[in-house]
Amino acid sequence: MSNATEIHQALGAFDKTTSRWGRITMIIGLFFSLAAPAYLVFFAGLDIELSGIITAFAALAAVFGVIWIVEPLTYFPILGASSMYQAFMIGNISNKLLPAAMIAQSTIGVKPGTRKGELASVAAICGAATVHLASLFIFVGLLGTWLVSVIPVDIIQTVQFYILPTVMGAVVVQAIVSQKAPRSAVIALVVSVIVVFFAQLYKPFGLFSTAVAVIATAVLAWVFRDRKTLGTPEDVPVDATPEGPVY
Amino acid sequence: MQIPAILPAVADSNSTDILALANSPVLWACAIGVFLVIIVQSVIYMKAARVAAPHIGMSQAELKTSFRAGAISALGPSLAVVLVAVALLTIFGTPAVLVRIGLIGSVSYETAAAAIAAKTAGAELGGPTYTQAVFGLALAAMSLGGAMWMIATLILTPLLKRGDSALRKVNPAIMLVVPGAAMVAAFMVLGIGELPKSWLHVVAFVSSAAIMTILMVVAKRVNKPWIKEWALGIAIILALAITYAATRL
Repeated sequence: MSNATEIHQALGAFDKTTSRWGRITMIIGLFFSLAAPAYLVFFAGLDIELSGIITAFAALAAVFGVIWIVEPLTYFPILGASSMYQAFMIGNISNKLLPAAMIAQSTIGVKPGTRKGELASVAAICGAATVHLASLFIFVGLLGTWLVSVIPVDIIQTVQFYILPTVMGAVVVQAIVSQKAPRSAVIALVVSVIVVFFAQLYKPFGLFSTAVAVIATAVLAWVFRDRKTLGTPEDVPVDATPEGPVY
Repeated sequence: MQIPAILPAVADSNSTDILALANSPVLWACAIGVFLVIIVQSVIYMKAARVAAPHIGMSQAELKTSFRAGAISALGPSLAVVLVAVALLTIFGTPAVLVRIGLIGSVSYETAAAAIAAKTAGAELGGPTYTQAVFGLALAAMSLGGAMWMIATLILTPLLKRGDSALRKVNPAIMLVVPGAAMVAAFMVLGIGELPKSWLHVVAFVSSAAIMTILMVVAKRVNKPWIKEWALGIAIILALAITYAATRL
């Protein structure tokens, strides 16, 4: 079986290179992404307290902490080890990288989960990254400032004042559609309305409102889950991943 | 606002001129750094794949086809991301938008993270309370949040690869219900929390949600996946246009 050993060695070398350099490049990417705020906080002469950052981070962790861990767990079986280091640095995984990988695999007729499929998805993600970096660089990096400079001031003010409700309106709908969990959506709506109402009555509560709403919804969604389809772990389809571009 | 912008002599915590700070050369350098790292990574990965391919019966042509298929399929989603990114330029400045929204993160998480961070300082994104100091805080929070995803990836990937990890035995029903519910709730409460601020906030939220709903229904009805890709960008731009029209009433 010298053929089998050859395959084994070649793939071993591929795994070694990608996991080694994948990790190294990701750590450097991590460094650059943290260097920007570190400069603002420590060297730009801004009045930002470290305790303020810790508070903000704690608020964020309460809201997204679960998702930080669950996302890598969700994507690992789909992407494979080597692509994990690509995907979580390039971002926009479900709306761009997963479709790219799937289209590449079906174009050359290989199945996901096979070694050929893994190489196809690595190549596809490289291709997607190339297009993505180029379009970001040209349309946002080079032309973005110019685009903004030709837009009248009062339109820019509208964007600045109302961007959050605008983004959230669309994103909420997208999240509901992609999750396909109407019970959770109803629970989230009821909890959010109650929480926002209390935050209006008692302003200091506003600080914790997001975290309270998220934790309460998560607990209630679990308690009131549809036990017919989610009763036992075995019933859950393995490939039941969200399809929408929210993740 | 030339690239690179002139380094502000002394940043002013209370100034609302976010872009003076947000387009500073240091932030540009960091953004370009992330770009370069991804380029280097892609080159290394492609080389490794090219070496390994013949041994598993995969031709270089098949590898090239995969690369091209990935590139073409990314065109639509990438331009959709560009559209959203341009809409957010005045809030976060070019370098932060490139890294946080264009790359590592996504528009939904990063905007949510920035809003949550600003709230802990008693401020809001955009508007009179959105000072340079608040921008700094928001960027720090977004970056730390994004870092957690990367750190989780760096720690979990080798564990999952070993295959004997206890993580795989986590009840999949919990994995399916809890993160999804948490995500919907986070966006929901941030959105609904905007409503009491003014009737224009209501217009922005409701019109954006309505346009998104229409686009989702249409995408399903005519079975055109590209509509889903573009939906977020289209909804944001149209809803902003409607809100702008409403401010002129």
